[in-house]
Amino acid sequence: MKRACFVISILLAALIGSGCAVFGRGKDFKPFDENSLKQVTAGSTTAADVTRLFGPPNKIVKLSNGNAYLYERSIDKATGLWLVVLTFGNWDKQYDRIAFFINNENTVTHIGSSFNAETASYAMPF
Amino acid sequence: MRCRFDTIIRIAVVLLIPLAISGCISLRIDKIQEGVEIFPPKDEFARGKTSLKEILSCYGAPDDLVDMNGDFALHFRKALYRRINISLGIPLKNIALPNPSIGTTGNLLRYDTVVFIFTVDNVLKDIKFEKGTSRSLWEDYW
Repeated sequence: MKRACFVISILLAALIGSGCAVFGRGKDFKPFDENSLKQVTAGSTTAADVTRLFGPPNKIVKLSNGNAYLYERSIDKATGLWLVVLTFGNWDKQYDRIAFFINNENTVTHIGSSFNAETASYAMPF
Repeated sequence: MRCRFDTIIRIAVVLLIPLAISGCISLRIDKIQEGVEIFPPKDEFARGKTSLKEILSCYGAPDDLVDMNGDFALHFRKALYRRINISLGIPLKNIALPNPSIGTTGNLLRYDTVVFIFTVDNVLKDIKFEKGTSRSLWEDYW
């Protein structure tokens, strides 16, 4: 009887362990520093200062009153869980972004920034 | 002891059933989210008055920036994708060649979006907002 209980216990443990979980993390990296924004002042910082501090932008948009330099990076986190007949998958991607609006005199006029990349999370899809 | 053994047998049978049917039925649920929550524009945002600086300080950097032949638009967006897959089959590969199965998949990609259109003088010209993820999943799908 003891042996039977032992065998069944092993089988149950194997059954419960037959599921599988996966965690993944991806990064689209751009080495700009959030603190460098303190050195940027609308009305005085130039386009050259921006590229010196933040490097080449991901995207430049031509506007009728100047240009916009867009910087972007992201973090994504994936979670997967397989439980015999059930499969759950979740993928969360969040971004850090900075936008500099530069006038025709090459001076920064407006700055927009959002830093949400670190809020990407591992989770279930419900 | 006999009673305890019976209980273990019952639990084992219950747990073995899903294992036995694992090749016959499966359910998969996926969710993909990109971007943070998009809030509705504040009531105080007024066409012809609100400046670019106010919008940027409220929403941060846009997802996309588009020139519109003089005017320009800031685009903020959150994407939410959901997928459900159910499949039923009879795994006969090891017994016979036919392997009858039936499966169904539903995919739905929705967006929360706010677009601010500005004049060349950086003054708000128009606002468009849509909260796509708040609607009924079922109705949107069908």
